Formats: sequence, C-alpha cells, structure tokens
Amino acid sequence: MSAGAPAPGPAAGGGPAASWPRMAVATLALAGLLISAYLLLHRLGLVGRLICGAEGSCETVQSSSYAEFLGVPVAGIGLVGYLVMMAVALAGLQPQLAGVRRVSLVLLALSLPAVAFTIYLNALEAFVIHAWCRWCIASATIVTLIFLASLADLVLGHRPAADRRLT
Amino acid sequence: MAQKTSSAPPAKPPLRLFYWILIVVALVGIAALVFLVVRARVGGSAALAPVQMDTTNLRAIYARATPETIGQPGAPVKLVIFADYTCPYCGQWAAQVQPRLVQDYVNAGKLQIVYYDFPLGSEGEHQYSFLAARAARCAGEQGKFWEMHDYLFGRQSEWSFAASTPVKTFEGYARALGVDQAKFDACLESERFADVVTANHLLGERLGVNSTPTVIINEKKIDDPIKYDVLQQVIAQSGGAAK
Repeated sequence: MSAGAPAPGPAAGGGPAASWPRMAVATLALAGLLISAYLLLHRLGLVGRLICGAEGSCETVQSSSYAEFLGVPVAGIGLVGYLVMMAVALAGLQPQLAGVRRVSLVLLALSLPAVAFTIYLNALEAFVIHAWCRWCIASATIVTLIFLASLADLVLGHRPAADRRLT
Repeated sequence: MAQKTSSAPPAKPPLRLFYWILIVVALVGIAALVFLVVRARVGGSAALAPVQMDTTNLRAIYARATPETIGQPGAPVKLVIFADYTCPYCGQWAAQVQPRLVQDYVNAGKLQIVYYDFPLGSEGEHQYSFLAARAARCAGEQGKFWEMHDYLFGRQSEWSFAASTPVKTFEGYARALGVDQAKFDACLESERFADVVTANHLLGERLGVNSTPTVIINEKKIDDPIKYDVLQQVIAQSGGAAK
C-alpha cells in the first residue's frame, strides 16, 4: 500500500491539499442525504406538497410506480447510500486513515454503482415517465460530483507518498 | 521572525472549519425538514386538489389508479362505480343501493363492487371532494375504507358546505371509527393519496365518465344506477341472478 507508512502530522496525505476530495464527498453526501430525506418524508406523506416550481413534475415522478425499486422507496435507497458515503468520507479524514488508499477505493466502489443507478433513474424520467423532478436532477448532479471527487481522491490522495518516494 | 515561522499552525484549523461548516449545513437542513413536517402536521398542506399528472401517459395512470373493492375477486359480475363524496346521488346510492347489493349479491359471491374516486372538482360545491376522497383512502390504509366511505356519504351535509376546510371534521370521523389517530391525521394533512385519487379521476375520464355516480356492470354503463330493479336486471343478464 503506497500510504502504508505516512509521516505523522498534517502533511501525511491528510493535509488540506490531499483531503479536499474527501471533504467534498462528505459535504456533497450531506446535501444528497438531506434531499433524500425530504423525498422520503414526502413519500411517507409526512411533508406537504413538494417544493418543485410551477410545473409540478416532481409529483408526477414521485407518484409514479418507479419511485420504488424492488418495493423499496428510491429515496430510502438514496438516503442509506449517501449516509454510508458520508460516513466513509468522514472516517477517511481522520489522521489514522488520511491518505489510505483503501478508503479511496471504497468511496469509488460506492459512488460508481450510485452513478449507474442514477443514469437508470434519469433514463426512466426521460423515456418512461416523461417528467423531470428537480430534486432528482439535483441528486444526480451530486452523485456525479461525488464520483468525480472520489476519483480525484484516488489520484491526488497519494501524490505526497509518490513524491516522498522520488525524493 | 524565524520563531514566528516555526510556530505556524498546522493544518488542523481548516479541517475544524470544515467540520463546523458541515454541522451548520446539517442543522439548517434538519431544521428545514422539521419545519416542513410540522407545517404538514398542523394541516397547512393537506392536498385539496389533484396533482399534476401527465394525462397522455396512460401506463402511469393505470399503474397509479387504485380501486377499493368489496366482494370476491372471482365473482361473475363486476360492478365498477365512479363516485364523488359531495354528490347527493352518490350519497343516495351509498345509503340505499349499495347495502342491498351487498346483501343480495356480494355476500352470495355473485358480485364484486369496485370503487373509484371521481371528485367532480375542487371549487364551489365540490371544493372538498378531493379531500374527502383522500380521507377515505387514509382510513382505507388502516382497513377502514368502507366505514369512512359510509361516514362521509352519510354526513355530507355536515361538511360539504363548511366555511373552512373540514380537515378536523374528517379527523373526528376517523376518531369515531377507531383508526390510529396520529397516523390518519398525518396522512390527511399531507399529499398522501393525492396521486391515487388524481389517477382514479383520470382513469374515469379515459373511460368517458362525466357524471356521478357512474356505474358500469361487466363493461356496460348503466343509465339510471339509483334504480335497484334496473341493476338487478343487468346483474341477472350478466350471470349473477339473485339468491
């Protein structure tokens, strides 16, 4: 493992320069978590009409049969997914895990299927439901950014270790 | 100067700042969600009108439209009814015709009644149609659809022309029926079943329903469904002779 012996202190792959992708993942996942929670509460009938602009396409999407996947509300799946990604990203910011490659791989392994699932959901909106939900688009954007940040974490997070090998 | 450089703070403050930002964002988000839930709980957002639904997407309408039924699914005769809780004739049907049908045909396994909501509007004399349909669905979620159906039709005059939205009146009915009050209230004071009621209405429109009650027996639309002898005749012709 390239980061197997990180130097103690903030420069060991856990400094601000190296850890920004994980900060980004945690922040984005929190935003996604809140959106998923909102949509799930709506699904459970616990909040009012979705705040969705004048055209109200969110109701069309959220009331469709595709708002559930294998009997589980899609918003609930999103909520759990974002929660796990945020937990991993926050754990990866701790000094003992900073710069550890395995954390980067876990983030990538979590975000990649999330992106695939998002593409599937967006395709349903475009070709089957014929309606776009702003909250779903926001969630799709967040998932994509999390994936890119996870990729950046894998690439950038270990540069200090490589640099150390060169010197 | 050299001392000053060596005592420069490590990278902890940015991480600490990040945590603070994350906590603030989380708290603001949770507060917003709590506000939305509380607003829904006090009835400020009980859905009173149909939701937006793509009327050209038949598959979505059929998927969402959900009837309530009474009788065996395998009964030889199916009676489909589209009704509005504010419609006096529907009230008459519910009070006088349906109980006789249940007694004579449903209990004998010869007839199944399939009920779809068809709220006639969300203004004027029908301004509470949609809410009433949702109230019955909310009770139905707890297995009390037909009880609430009868309650709503039986007390039309109490709430149809109420000065304010009869959310509390319907919650009182639910209490009398012995449903889980908190669950019913949360359901009614939200958007729950707004999609189902909307889809039921759109399904009716697709089938050419333009008045209530519209009764269809084995795909035959009945012109005067309030007349019991007419229904008896059609049911008999459809293979469900009386006991």
